[in-house]
Amino acid sequence: MKASSLERRNYKWIVLFLLPSFLVFLFFYLQPILSIFLTSFMKYDGFNSPRFVGLQNYIQLFGQESFQLSMKNLFLWSLIATTLHVGFGTILAFILFQKPRGWKFTRAVFMVPNVISAAAWALIYRFIFNDEMGFMNGLIRLFNKDFHHQWFFESPYAFWAVTLTWLFYAVIVTLLVMNDLYSIPEEVFSAAKVDGANTLQILWHIELPMCRISIGTSIIASITARIAMYEQIALTTSGGPGNDTMNLPLILMKNILDLKYGLANASGVMMFLAGILVLLLVHKAFRLNEGIYD
Amino acid sequence: MKKRKLLSLALALVLGLSLPGCANNTPKAESEKGSAAAGETEAEKEGAEKKETSEGLKEMKLPTFLAGENVGAKFFLPQVERFNKKYEGKYKITVEEVVQDSYAEKIKQLATQKKLPALVHSPGSGGIDAQWFKQVILDNDLAYDLTDFAKETPELSELWLPESKEYCTYNGKLVVSPMLVIRPIGMFYNEDLYKPEKALGELSYEEFVSSLGDKKIAFMTSENAWTSALMLSALVGNEEGGAKLLQDSVKDKLWDYTEEPFVKGVEKLQTLLQKNASANTLGAAYADAANAFMSNKAAVIPNGSWMVSEFNEESKDKWSNDFKGSSVHAGIYPGNIALANPAGYGDFWIPATASDDEKEVAKAFLAFRGSQEELEAYLLAEGGTAPRLKYSEDFLNKLKENPLLYEYNQSVNDDTKYVPILGDVFPASIGDQEFGKLLPKLIDGSLSPEEFCKELTKKAEEAKQ
Repeated sequence: MKASSLERRNYKWIVLFLLPSFLVFLFFYLQPILSIFLTSFMKYDGFNSPRFVGLQNYIQLFGQESFQLSMKNLFLWSLIATTLHVGFGTILAFILFQKPRGWKFTRAVFMVPNVISAAAWALIYRFIFNDEMGFMNGLIRLFNKDFHHQWFFESPYAFWAVTLTWLFYAVIVTLLVMNDLYSIPEEVFSAAKVDGANTLQILWHIELPMCRISIGTSIIASITARIAMYEQIALTTSGGPGNDTMNLPLILMKNILDLKYGLANASGVMMFLAGILVLLLVHKAFRLNEGIYD
Repeated sequence: MKKRKLLSLALALVLGLSLPGCANNTPKAESEKGSAAAGETEAEKEGAEKKETSEGLKEMKLPTFLAGENVGAKFFLPQVERFNKKYEGKYKITVEEVVQDSYAEKIKQLATQKKLPALVHSPGSGGIDAQWFKQVILDNDLAYDLTDFAKETPELSELWLPESKEYCTYNGKLVVSPMLVIRPIGMFYNEDLYKPEKALGELSYEEFVSSLGDKKIAFMTSENAWTSALMLSALVGNEEGGAKLLQDSVKDKLWDYTEEPFVKGVEKLQTLLQKNASANTLGAAYADAANAFMSNKAAVIPNGSWMVSEFNEESKDKWSNDFKGSSVHAGIYPGNIALANPAGYGDFWIPATASDDEKEVAKAFLAFRGSQEELEAYLLAEGGTAPRLKYSEDFLNKLKENPLLYEYNQSVNDDTKYVPILGDVFPASIGDQEFGKLLPKLIDGSLSPEEFCKELTKKAEEAKQ
């Protein structure tokens, strides 16, 4: 398509206005990403000059049991995020969209965990799951007096305890989906009703398909949050017991602790690639480049 | 119209460029990498700026983890104040309080930027690992040589422990201020819950276990599993060849945990963890272990003499469940084992990148800390012995006023076997994370002692450079 003379006249302004964003991208995103990729092929202790070692860091990383378990955990957490986490947020959005009594209050309460840091939540959960004074075991002991488990420190409970620290905090999903629901033109609902569609049919054939973009976006956000999840694990299980709740950011930190920045960055690259893969798959599956009303 | 566009553009540029501008230290630090001299220039500049602010006063900033809730803060912070008061108008140290968990990370970052403070806590404390110290600081000649300082202050250098002085010497340079005090680590027990028939150190392991019965020990599995690691150090040290294994591993770390004394020590630890661990052991951090002991839920806690202050009346607010500080007694480990390592680093080192003024303040502070008055005050506050110091009468009298500290000091004798703690021989990630993370599997029996040791060895192998 040929640019109009007005557009051509404004080229220099377009370029100049894009420049700040481009510079920010260059210094704060591209440069660190490139340095992570480069140093992942090097032996580097963060201080002395790096030395090129080819694929050695990746071979070492793939051979570690903690990495294999991290990938397994990531897969399981991604599955849970896609189904239960996004599903819960979406269902809540559909309920709130019906504006039942107290919907505004519910929305505000649901928002609260988002203003508390993940680190603080992790510590709160340490108390919730504490065997002696925790709410969870206290509740269970009402029915089973002999129930004693330290959720964060016993297999296989630790994985589920970590999962519960984020599973139901889906307010971003709810807000995104609600935003899409509010964007559906009133005429569409009126037409459906004229055609005799019932509530379930409207939900299934109109509302849900029209929230495709927000649900897809929510899945991307949820899975990438699982890829980068650190505080919830570091402050509760530290990846234990054994390697039960290990993940890539923890491997990265552990290698930094051992002054193995090259190996740490190799796990950083794996996180980056996992994120890109998720982005591509969800993009394709949910046709995110196609508008709803095109 | 054009004016508006230009204004908008200027605003956008200011916004965009101000962000990278915030990071202008990084490229500078990068360009200075590898050149200690360049770092000195920067530090000197800062020193010069400080000079301008107050004529004649030489200042330095001291980030330290001996602050806040850290038990060491009780003595250290007033000590800095005493120093500032003594040298008022000449030297001044401003303390920057840093959370213990963040201290090592902060120091590592400052080292990369060649902006280390003039006094840095030694490896083995504050999460600073010896591996980093050797690889980054010593191999790059970034530690200031204290040899001349030693000659200038003979009254101080004579008090340094010879084994420590040797350990602190690298390539002929004295890179860390050597140890003045040795603080053997033992255990505390609550007489209301547990009364051994003789001193703990005089018991054999079997006698200890049988006298303990089903009484509880305040173990930990979180953080660095400090109390559990102390017990394991003693158990390994009590095995044939175990003390030598640990002593020989201080310099180059222990990487293979499948050696017989270690496996046997782990076997005994597993028994204790399964039978005698306090109810909150799984997931217990240090605060939880201390809480178990100070609430009568554990009869024994392995820990050093610095914990004595927790049993004084003024710490009463931390007690619960009818716990009485006066019922606490101290002793070393069964088999006459005390945990101490005289061949280790002292408290502080001075970076070569510090300015001359800062070095002067730092050296004055080291000399101040090593003065008889301060050393005795330290021993009275935190326990331990200064083997090369001739104690004053006043000190000996005061020591007797604190029976627990006195008891702790008296628990060692000429036959006591000194063993380094595992923290001195574990590589950083093993000591800080992996050991504690694997303990729950040793407790629930999903790992046998042999498997535990193999798993730990595998982790150490991964941590190797």
